[in-house]
This record gives sequence, C-alpha cells and structure tokens, in this order.
Amino acid sequence: MASDAAHSAIFLDGRSNRKRAVALRLGGSLDIVEGDAAIESWPYDAIRRADGPRQVLRLSCVSALPLARLEIADAATQGMVAAYCKSLDVGRAAAGQTWRIVFWSLAAVCSILLLAFFGIPFAADRLAPVIPSVIEQRIGGAVDKQVHLLFAGKTCDRADGQAAFTSLIDKLKRAGGMEAALDAQVLSSKIPNAFALPGGKIYLLDGLLQKAKSVDEIAGVLAHELGHVQHHDNLRRIIQTGGTSFLVGLLFGDVTGGAAMVFVGRSLFDASYSRDAERAADAFAIDVMRKLGRSPKPLGDLLVRVTGTEAGKSVTLLSSHPMSEERLATMSKDTYEGVGPEILSAAEWKALKGICAPSK
Amino acid sequence: MNQTMSSPFDLPPIPAPAAQGRVTFSGRRPDFRRLVIRGTALELVTVGFYRFWLATDMRRHLWSNTAVDGDAAEYTGTAKELLIGFLFALAILAPIYLAYFLIGLEAERLKAFASIPLGLFFYLFAQFAIYRARRYRLTRTVWRGVRFWMTGSGWSYAWRAGLWALLSLLTLGIAAPWAKASLERYKTRHTAYGSLQGRFEATGWSLFKQVWWLWLLAWPSFLILIPLPFIYGALKAIEWRWWVSGIRMGGVSFESGLTGGALIGLYWKVIGWSVLLMIILSAWFGGVFAIASLGGAHSIDEKFFLTTQNLPALFALGFGYIVVALTAGVIVRIYLTRDVWQRVAESVTVQNLSAADDVAAQGHLVSALGEGFADSLDVVGF
Repeated sequence: MASDAAHSAIFLDGRSNRKRAVALRLGGSLDIVEGDAAIESWPYDAIRRADGPRQVLRLSCVSALPLARLEIADAATQGMVAAYCKSLDVGRAAAGQTWRIVFWSLAAVCSILLLAFFGIPFAADRLAPVIPSVIEQRIGGAVDKQVHLLFAGKTCDRADGQAAFTSLIDKLKRAGGMEAALDAQVLSSKIPNAFALPGGKIYLLDGLLQKAKSVDEIAGVLAHELGHVQHHDNLRRIIQTGGTSFLVGLLFGDVTGGAAMVFVGRSLFDASYSRDAERAADAFAIDVMRKLGRSPKPLGDLLVRVTGTEAGKSVTLLSSHPMSEERLATMSKDTYEGVGPEILSAAEWKALKGICAPSK
Repeated sequence: MNQTMSSPFDLPPIPAPAAQGRVTFSGRRPDFRRLVIRGTALELVTVGFYRFWLATDMRRHLWSNTAVDGDAAEYTGTAKELLIGFLFALAILAPIYLAYFLIGLEAERLKAFASIPLGLFFYLFAQFAIYRARRYRLTRTVWRGVRFWMTGSGWSYAWRAGLWALLSLLTLGIAAPWAKASLERYKTRHTAYGSLQGRFEATGWSLFKQVWWLWLLAWPSFLILIPLPFIYGALKAIEWRWWVSGIRMGGVSFESGLTGGALIGLYWKVIGWSVLLMIILSAWFGGVFAIASLGGAHSIDEKFFLTTQNLPALFALGFGYIVVALTAGVIVRIYLTRDVWQRVAESVTVQNLSAADDVAAQGHLVSALGEGFADSLDVVGF
C-alpha cells in the first residue's frame, strides 16, 4: 500500500526554528523529503497529534526530537496521513481518563474525610493528655495576651474579693480531684462570660459575676470551666481544628469549590465537637457540685438568665455553647437538693461580687 | 459581542513589509466557553482536583490559537506535571506551615499579635512561587519548534518584589510604575526564546507619564465607585500596551495598538454578571433562612441560631455558595482570561521578525514545583 504521491508540508526539526518546506512520502514509514534527500523517517505508529490551530494538522514523533514538528495545511494530505497513522491520539485525554480523574479524586476525598472526622479526633484525644503541661501553658500564654487586648479588661484583685475567689476555686478543685496548676482571674469586662484557656488559665468576666444571684451559680460556672481544663478541651480543639484545616485547606486550597467545602465541613464538625465537650464539662460541673453537697441547678438558672434576657444581643455564651436548651434541661431535671454547707459565707460572697470595685 | 471572528487564513495578503509580523487569535469563543463550563463542572465533582486539567486545557486552547506571523504557538505542559508539582509543593509546605505556627505562637507570647509580620514571609514566598510558575509555563511554550526558557533566581525576584511593594505602599502607588518596570526588566532579561535573549526596554517613567491622571482620578472615585471600572480598565489597557512595546527578543521588537478603552467593556460585563449572581445568592440564602427558621424564632439571632443547627439548611447554604463561586469562576475565565487575551494578542504587531528566522533550540525544561507552590498559595495566573 505504498504511495509515491508527494505531499507538501512544513518541517521543524526541533534543533532550530527554521521552517523547511518538505514533501511527504508515504511508504513503509512517513519519509520527510527536502529537495531529493529524505531527511527523516517517522514510523507511522510513533506519530502523534500535537496541539495546533484547527486548520493545521501538527504532528510530532515519539522517536524523533521532542519538539520536531510536521505541519500539514492541505486538507487532502491531512486525511491521507491520518489514515496511515493509527496511533495519532494515543495517550490523549479520552472519556475514560476523565472518569479516572473523577474516581481518584473522590477516593482522595473519602480518605481525607475519614482522616478528618475519625483520625484527627482520635489523635487529639490521645495526644492532649500526654502533651507536657509546659507546652500547654506556652500556648495559653500566647492566647492570654490577645484575651487581655480583646476584652480590654484589667485583672480585678481587691484583697478581700481575691481571698474569697481563691477559696472558692480551691474548694472546687478539691471536689473535682484536680491536681494541675490553675490560674483563675476575674476580669473587669462587662460581657457576661467565662472561659478557660490552655494550660489551666480560667477567666471569669465581671459581667457574669454581677448577673449571678448566688455563689452556687458562679461555682457552677467555674466548675464547668474547670471541667474544660481537666479534659484538656482547648488543646484537643487546637489539635483538631489545626489538623483538619491544615489537611483539608492545603489539599483543596483553591478559590473555587474547596474553600466553601472546608467552611461547611469545619462549622458542622466544630459544632458537633464542641457540643460533646460542653456536655462533658457540664457533667464534670454537676459532679463537683454534688460532691460539695450543692445542687447543680443554679448553673442552669444563670444560663437561662444570661441567654434568655440577652438573646437579641448575640451573647457569647449562646454562640460558643450550642444546644443550651438541652443543657438547661439536663441541669434543671437534676433534682438533687443541696445538703452541704454554703460554699462561701455571705460576707465572702459580698466581697467576691465587689472584687472589681475600686479599692477604698 | 464580537463573535464574527475571521480566521487568519482567510485574510487578504497584507501589503506590509515582510519584516513585520502580525499576531492573530483564531480561537472560537463557544469552544472556550464549553471547555471552561465542562471543566468547572468537573472541578465541582472532583472537589477541585480537576483544576490541573482545566488549566492545562485552557492554556492549550489559548496557545495553539495564537499565531505570530501565521505560525501558531503550542503549549506542551501536561496536567500530570501540575499534579505532581502540587503534591511535591504540599510535602515541602507542610513543615513550613508547622514552623510558621510554632514561631507565631512564640511571637504571640512576647507581644499580642506580634505574629502578623510572619505573613510577610508568605508574601515573599508567593512572589517566589509566581516567578517559578512563570518559568514553568515559559518552558512549555513552543513556537516554530523551539521553546522559550528562563533563568534567574526566584528568591532574588521575591526580594525585589517585596521591597518594591513596600515602596509602592509607602508612596500610595506613585512608585508602582517603576516597580513594574524594574520587575519586568528582571523577568524579561532572564527570558529567552531558544538562542534569542530577551530584555525589557520600557521605563517606569514612560508608564508613569501615561497613567498619572488615572491615579489622580482614582482617589475621588473611591467615594462614588461608578468610575472605578473605567479607570481600572483604562489602566490595564495602558499597562498591557506599555508592557508589550517594552519587550525585545534579540532584534525583534513588539508594538501594541490597544486603545485605552479596549478592556473597559469586559470589566463592566464581569460586574454585571457579579451583581446578578449576588442577587441570586441572596435570594437563595434568604429562602433557606426563611424555611429553616420556620416556627418559634423571633429575633434575627434566634433565626441564625436555628439555621446553624439545621444540617440540610447548612448544606443548602454551602451548595448555593459553591455553585455561585464556580459560576463566577467561569465568567472571570471567559471575560478576563480569554477575551482580554484575544484583545491584547490581536493588538500586537511584531517588528523585524526576520531576526528570529534562524534561532537555535536551547534551554531545559523545569518542573512544575513552582506552579504547585503558587497553587497552594492561591496565586496562580491562568
């Protein structure tokens, strides 16, 4: 099936950009002829299609120089050459390739999701208790500076109030069986909130202290925060969110779909995670209050008072402590009646409430 | 819309001196649109992994339809290279991110928010990545069987870019033309086409002379916003024209006839589409909120709270956001990548092209690692 018909083409030899007018001879292989001499011979099954404009058939050859090109503009010649070269589109994007990409992408997604939802929480649960408290305190120290700036609060340390506060914390610690070092402070911020930082730092904001009607309410809140410290919740959270966002963000870190997926996934995940952590801290608080012989109910009352009256003002307690209705139900259903002595005397409670008042 | 694209092969012979070459673009808009829409849909299905294939397909389309003096360019990069570059970049970036986190932690302990300057490191790293990504793309660009290539150091470029950005910031943008000129000089003098060495001859002063009035107009315009797309469109067109006419490859020089208003329409079209998309997204979000907070909720906060507790509602919000973000991506790629490319390319004439008639092949391929970094840092061009 040899053909002697000569067809014209442009040949670029891959060594220089000189355009050489050549003739093609379709014999046992594709011979590229300049003048009378065949300058190259391309086996048909080594010839591939290269990208080019629509009207031009641009060819390359796997056994020739990588950038050697043959450009055929004449439609009839294009058709004839294409008929000889059976492997023209070998290795090019085919429908099957697209499906392969889709399949492997989905496999990668599944593996990442499994890691994010099971692997990292597992690692966080195991790692958090064994990370030396020095490291935990260093992390806490970093956050601490920001807290002071963000809440623009000064530490309240009126002597009699501080004494009452220390005594309250000590009693809660003993009841909870905690041995870790604790650094609890009252901050002069009007926001009704309390929180724990990594490394055993606990902050009670004066706003919440003023809303409390009894020492049991404040004791409940502090016991709840002690629970977070005892369970290393902050550290677990840092490992978890850091791990997942690192993993997912790096992998899908492009502006299109990825960022949104991370956002949705993270918010769902964080919500479910903090719900568990809150439940565990509540259980800890209830346990501590019972050990002190006091009812855990006042903590629920305080939550109702804070979230109920200020629901319209985006209260931090509500947003960072989700499912508060369920939590309230747990505490108010607790019918345990206090039998123990008051945790603080009336005078101490008064001093604690005035811890942020200017010194006389 | 300018849909009547004549193929360069139907044009009557140009009665210009043979030394002058024209740049033509023969890509069909519907082809590109189909390519981008299909690729974006696949990006959605593959959670973004398809981006390597989409970027490669877009480049292949743009390159192979752009012809200088009748000879179309060719893009020889592959999506697999991009994927491998990305995976390597990931492996290298992982410890860097960890170190960044730990150093930031220590800095915060000394002083609150002291870790912010560390962000500057990532700015420099992004510049490095941009340089290396350009290098990858150039070595995959072939014209008449000879490839472009690039030398120079990504880090020394990053330092220059960082210092110039700082100076531009301090002078409220007055130094920007000189910054641009200096960085282009660096990039272009390390660029070559085969044995043909590149250089950049336009100056910061010549750009400043053309754009200073836009700088003056921009300040009051920030208050009324409407003129901003006009100003930005004109600025971009002038920059393109200035850039093209500054490039020299050996004895070959370029000229662009792009008019100041050539790109303004494109920016307005993108704005129009964005407004439409925002309206659709707002309606979608509003609808989801309304349905999710049916019953019980009174205040906005309560509605918001109820919605955040509702899984299907969160998925609906996320899905709406993703679809709109992807659609916006399609629009930007059609108008600001393809259409701008076409308009700029067709405005270019090449002077003394015969100086590029017998160029020897030179230069080696580089890996796509730079593109991988750029991809991880979200700074890839097209």
